[in-house]
Amino acid sequence: MVYQIRLKGHLGSQWADWFEGLTIRLEDNGITLLTGPVIDQAALYGLLKKVRDLGLPLLSVQHVETGPVKAKETHQNH
Amino acid sequence: MSTPILATKLYIPPSRLDIVRRPRLIERLNEGRKLTLISAPAGFGKTTLLSSWVNQKDESREAGMKDEVKKFQPSVFSLQPSQVAWLSLDKGDNDHARFLAYLVAALQTIAPTIGAGVLASLQAPQPPPVEAILTTLLNEIAASHDPFLLILDDYHVIEAQPVDQALTFLLAHLPPQMHLVIATREDPHLPLARLRARSQLTELRAADLRFTPAEAAEFLNRVMSLNLSTEEIAALDARTEGWIAGLQLAALSMQGQPDAAGFIQSFTGSHHFVLDYLVEEVLHRQPESVQMFLLRTSILDRLCGPLCDAVLGKDEGGRMKDEKETNFGSSALSLQPSSFILEYLERANLFIVPLDNERRWYRYHHLFADLLRQRLRQNDAASHPGGDIEGGIVAEYHIRASQWYEDNGLELEAFHHAVAAHDIERTERLIEGKGMPLHFRGAMAPVLRWLESLPAAVLDARPSLWVTYASALMMSGHPSDVESKLQAAEAALRAQQAQRNAQDDDKTRDLIGQIAAIRALAAAAQNDVKTSITLSHRALEYLHPDNLAVRTVTTLTLGVAYEFQGDRAAARQAYNDVISIGQASGNFMLTIAAASSLGQIQEAENQLYLAAKTYQRILQMVGDPAQWTASVAHFGLARIFYEWNDLEAAERHGQLHIQLAPQIECDTSVSCEVLLARLKLAQGDVGGAGAMLAQAEQSARQHNFANRITEVITAQVLMLLHQGDVASAAHLAEKHSLPLSRARVYLAQGNPAAALAVLEPWRRQVEAKSWQDECLKAMVLQAVALHAHGQENKAAQLVGDALALAEPGGFIRLFVDEGSPMAELLTRLKDKGGRMNEYIHKLLTAFGQQEKMQPSSFRLQPLIEPLSQRELEILQLIAQGLSNSEISERLFLALDTVKGHNRRIFGKLQVQRRTEAVAKARSLNILPRSN
Repeated sequence: MVYQIRLKGHLGSQWADWFEGLTIRLEDNGITLLTGPVIDQAALYGLLKKVRDLGLPLLSVQHVETGPVKAKETHQNH
Repeated sequence: MSTPILATKLYIPPSRLDIVRRPRLIERLNEGRKLTLISAPAGFGKTTLLSSWVNQKDESREAGMKDEVKKFQPSVFSLQPSQVAWLSLDKGDNDHARFLAYLVAALQTIAPTIGAGVLASLQAPQPPPVEAILTTLLNEIAASHDPFLLILDDYHVIEAQPVDQALTFLLAHLPPQMHLVIATREDPHLPLARLRARSQLTELRAADLRFTPAEAAEFLNRVMSLNLSTEEIAALDARTEGWIAGLQLAALSMQGQPDAAGFIQSFTGSHHFVLDYLVEEVLHRQPESVQMFLLRTSILDRLCGPLCDAVLGKDEGGRMKDEKETNFGSSALSLQPSSFILEYLERANLFIVPLDNERRWYRYHHLFADLLRQRLRQNDAASHPGGDIEGGIVAEYHIRASQWYEDNGLELEAFHHAVAAHDIERTERLIEGKGMPLHFRGAMAPVLRWLESLPAAVLDARPSLWVTYASALMMSGHPSDVESKLQAAEAALRAQQAQRNAQDDDKTRDLIGQIAAIRALAAAAQNDVKTSITLSHRALEYLHPDNLAVRTVTTLTLGVAYEFQGDRAAARQAYNDVISIGQASGNFMLTIAAASSLGQIQEAENQLYLAAKTYQRILQMVGDPAQWTASVAHFGLARIFYEWNDLEAAERHGQLHIQLAPQIECDTSVSCEVLLARLKLAQGDVGGAGAMLAQAEQSARQHNFANRITEVITAQVLMLLHQGDVASAAHLAEKHSLPLSRARVYLAQGNPAAALAVLEPWRRQVEAKSWQDECLKAMVLQAVALHAHGQENKAAQLVGDALALAEPGGFIRLFVDEGSPMAELLTRLKDKGGRMNEYIHKLLTAFGQQEKMQPSSFRLQPLIEPLSQRELEILQLIAQGLSNSEISERLFLALDTVKGHNRRIFGKLQVQRRTEAVAKARSLNILPRSN
């Protein structure tokens, strides 16, 4: 399952390993977009707990379809 | 030994004098509702608000602040520092036994005697259910009337359902004088909606806790002395949204900064995550040595100077022990011991919080600690690209911390850091402990969590870990999972033996012994006595002589199994062994358990002086105040003092047992109530005895203590006979087939032959079983029956035998409770034996005392001489209303003969008139009631 998590404020790229492989994209409006695979609900709650513990303002959590990831993987294999 | 309580977790954080006043929030806290919930993300000042609230009274002593403070006096209940119990929670409190232990310890900071029994019961191998513990605790709280607060800080670390359930139970039964306060980053799993609906909840949330612009201004300009303009403050407040940690970091960044305006412009113009941006600013303004100190010590939950020195590799003087650690920096601070640096950090207001008044222990603000740990991990990853995380420098820091904790006797903390270091060998060694494994001391949950986290391959490589796994599961009450772990251990051992050909090394044999010991316990739990005995012997054969902890448990298991089997001699030997091993290894709980069982065996063998000595020894071990662990000993002493005719001491110990027993849902409280009922009967208090028996019967039925019903019935029969209600007593005795009770009823009916017919086979039965105590009771009652039956020589012989058996134990009530027929028998024997003469004199003295306590209206004895057949015929005719003349005509007897029979009937029934004779005969069941 792929999730997108929106946080208020920009995170530096060094936070990538803290969020276990999610990609970090900084948007012009001051929002950080975390995107990546989350293996299950327990892992998702674990991520949210990290957000909680850092005091990061959480704006949204969105489940993204798995199709694009598979296509992306196919592309990488080529 | 128990896991020591860390006093720093109970310490109320001090309030800083230079904080921002928040009267609108203090007013909310003063509402005094059942639960106050402060739920907000990290850095919103939850702990600071609470500490300033509870420390208000102290602040009022500041002369210059008096007028201001008076405005904010509590409006609902008067808050005193001594009436606040504080508990700072951490992940370790997810073990509900540890949570309860700390809960009690926190409460004891305001009421030192509260919950003492609870702490002891938590150390038991199988603690009582949580509700029973909390009920005891709540009853003790309700007994005192002073209002107080219990504050639980950082409740968000609690994930364990048993702890949430315990707290829900606590809230549901909270006494009115107790108020619960919870500070958390996440709403707890408590019935908040219900509490809201009932107006029993005060909530402070992030929106409440944010600094208002006015509060932000006060903080930045008064507290931090920054002299910012209104516009600058507004910009900072908007950027941080009143987030207190953010404002504090911003203020620290600007202190000493020549260009505050430039900083503000840069900060407010950035989209960077506030915390990330500001921590970077604050860290970079510190000397390099301080930065390194902060990063490396961030692995610690608690900091003190010596521990930090250990983690950093410094000696006491602040010098590096290892020349390789050259990157610590060259500033003046790098040469100072860690305690100095901690003081510096506190003065610099760098997110460090003291945990005691001596400024010895500190902790980082949790938010700051999380950030530091994150940066430490990043640095470690950078310096070891592609390296294994387990081999990093962070692991080395944890090992140093673990070593320091171990050296200072804090084994659980040492264990946690060993786990964090992924050092399996160190972790296992710390679990094993020095003679007493961690999971034998109430630390099952963290040990199990660690074992569950290990892959099977690691466990297979160390069969002892599988055994520890099984042992911890057994201790924590999950017996169904135990056998699979034991089989995994055996499989791993076989694999190892196949590789090494190491058949008989000591460690392997000890593990085999441990496996057998755990299986013996499991068999005992299933009441499979034979298997338990066999396995216990196997365990003792294989266990290493130095493995005292497991040998003690196994020997106790063996004793219980033998006792269950009826082999008292073998059980006694086992219990004595447990006592000597247990004392040598410091196993307090098992020593008491074995001594309690030993005392009961000694009683059962009529060795009352030995038994009393055993029980007194338990009381000495337990000490004051009385604890549930001593409740069995108190009941044992109550029985013995009753038997010794020391009714006052018997009552005192009996009452102590009844107070303590509910803490462990123990069925012996029913037996003790029965004993106290008999004691009241002996004191002539028939009403009191009846009330106590009714209570005992209710207890037995409510808790389904079926095995105790017979004890209640036996005492009820005695009481009914005491009241002269022979018919009801007969019904009860017959219904429940109680031999001694049936014999007593027959005696009361004037039918000693029937009593003897019951007693002789019963006595042979208990003799065959070697039940010395029951045998002695049967002999005494049989002697009374023989006496009533006119067989004086046999009666005297049997009493003599009973006296010989009873004298070594000092039995008194065994004889006195049988009443005047026994007194007559003893009087006849009085001048026959030398040593026995003194004993008989003592007994007769007790009979004399007994007479004074018995109201004469209740002095009822079975007929000394039964009515003859002719006397029964005449009595029946009297009951039918016939006159003496009519009886004379009906039976063809002379009138004088009839009158002679009447006199003998009246004499035997101890009455003066015909109507009295009829009534007495009916109450003794000599005449059918229908007549």
